[in-house]
Amino acid sequence: MYRVQDEVSLLRASLQGDTAAWGEMITRYKDAVFGLCLGFMRNRADAEDICHDAFIRAYMNLRRYDLERRFSTWLFTIAANLCRNQLRYRRNHPSTEEPLQIRGGRDPAKLLDAEERQNRVREALDKLPYSYRAPLVLRFYNELPYQEISDILAIPEGTVKTRIHRGKAMLKEYYEEGA
Amino acid sequence: MKDDAFETLLRDALRADVKASQGCLADLEERVASELGDRRPRLRWFQWLAQLLAPTRSGRIGQIAVVGATAAIFLFLGVTLSDNVPRMGEGTQLSLQPVQSADGTQEVLFVLPALDAEDVAVVGSFNAWEGTDLSDPDGDGIWTASIPLSPGRYEYAFIIDGRWWGQDPLADEYIQSFGEYSSVRYIGRGGDGA
Repeated sequence: MYRVQDEVSLLRASLQGDTAAWGEMITRYKDAVFGLCLGFMRNRADAEDICHDAFIRAYMNLRRYDLERRFSTWLFTIAANLCRNQLRYRRNHPSTEEPLQIRGGRDPAKLLDAEERQNRVREALDKLPYSYRAPLVLRFYNELPYQEISDILAIPEGTVKTRIHRGKAMLKEYYEEGA
Repeated sequence: MKDDAFETLLRDALRADVKASQGCLADLEERVASELGDRRPRLRWFQWLAQLLAPTRSGRIGQIAVVGATAAIFLFLGVTLSDNVPRMGEGTQLSLQPVQSADGTQEVLFVLPALDAEDVAVVGSFNAWEGTDLSDPDGDGIWTASIPLSPGRYEYAFIIDGRWWGQDPLADEYIQSFGEYSSVRYIGRGGDGA
């Protein structure tokens, strides 16, 4: 029913309490928000909870959304802030869940296999500090421009560029170490 | 490995993680709708006030109640704040007025009443918008942080449980960008308003 409607119409309907319209917005953005949370947190259970919470909070605070701004930027900012809060909480309450792990064991014969290489990138991402991982995820998973990453993480655009550059170098180093 | 190839590998790994987790996203729409139930997006305080003060047949009692409740909240916050503001000679360095050191750096107190908050931070041009935690050790809902600042103009906002709060009552002025308010404080001689 809502497939052909534009985003603003869906948002206006959501403001009137139409949860079906909000459901359509969730369908459109859930992969992006979940991917952001998973990349930031490196923990599936936390990412699932935060993704759910982000859509609840966004709906309840929809009147704060400024139509001049991109909706995705606003939604990603909510999710990113929730991730940051959860990471602060995790510092004092470590999770019992294993971080995202490689599927299957290490087989030297398959070292060059695509999945094996992806697993090494995952391990490298787990080691990367949050302040470098977050801009990398927004850049390479969410495919956002520097300015938007700067808005979401509330850091200057120059800092975003630096962190992406240095983060990529650190990630590559961890990746090579895992070889 | 070349840069482009590495970026592709990173992109593929992140996408594969999401693809592998599709099961937990399958009914997200239903779960969110079920939790929301009949709830509607919250009205902002001025929208809420305007709605309650709108002329209606039985609006008079509501209007009196709103005015009374608002006065009570401000009175409560005022009393709580005044109880928690350290007084001269009590052995603490914190003050709502900046304390200046010899090199011009001042200990500036950021204070925010947030009764139900679990996590409060201040982000601003002085900490590269990275966030400095406020603390509430006695659990009275008054969150504070003291930050040494050299003279100048500083933009900042509070983050209360992940939500942006840009209008600090103690700010010198407010600015608006990206649809959100931020507060501004001028410290020492480097600031216009000091």
